[in-house]
Amino acid sequence: MKLKAKAKNGIVKAKVMMKHDMITYDQAKKKGVKPNFITHVTASVDGKIVYEVSTSQFLSKNPILKYKFRGEKGKKITMTWKDLLGNTKSSTKKIK
Amino acid sequence: MQRRKFLSFGAVAVAAMMPSSLSATDYRKTKPDTWTSHTVDDSIKKLYGTGKLIEEGVTLKTPDVAANGGAIPVDITSSIAAKSVALFQDANPESTVAVWTVPENGIIDYSLKIKMKASGTMTVVVEGLDGKLYVANKTLQVALGGCEG
Repeated sequence: MKLKAKAKNGIVKAKVMMKHDMITYDQAKKKGVKPNFITHVTASVDGKIVYEVSTSQFLSKNPILKYKFRGEKGKKITMTWKDLLGNTKSSTKKIK
Repeated sequence: MQRRKFLSFGAVAVAAMMPSSLSATDYRKTKPDTWTSHTVDDSIKKLYGTGKLIEEGVTLKTPDVAANGGAIPVDITSSIAAKSVALFQDANPESTVAVWTVPENGIIDYSLKIKMKASGTMTVVVEGLDGKLYVANKTLQVALGGCEG
């Protein structure tokens, strides 16, 4: 997972690229594999949630999410995703 | 009388605390029906319990013609004080794409890339703190479908 966050005038712009195949039910049937996609993504700063999304199989492969929130420089942002099979991955970065 | 006033104040305080506890809502668990609905209207009704929509205050930006249906950029912006934001489309087998929970004092400025099987209409619904649903639509052409794999 690639994560970037930059603060300017009290507003943080964050961008994240999650490496995931995002196999839909249709694709899974054709290829004979299990459907698997990211279902829930959260981002938090100091234990407070700043971004949260529940997603379906229709996000692109290796989905890129961009968002803004109110925050400050130097704090740490943690992003976590969870997929259909229960795998989770999280990554922490300092806000630049 | 005083006791009554005190009690009602307590009820208001509890109600006021609700939004913060709404963070960390997994809509796949709380509203499982939404994710299997096949039409946009159905999905909205299952998610919010009503189909009453107001067409204002929300901006949905996508290209008019998407060259690659596997990754269509979508930008959603709005200045409405909101509880949640939901994105739907009518080209894929199921309609719901994503549901955001807007944190307290949050900014609605979300971008992502989605897959669409064919040309269709995207719908974004913003659930305001006032309980009303604000909506924006955008119809686009997709040159190459993205769900065939």
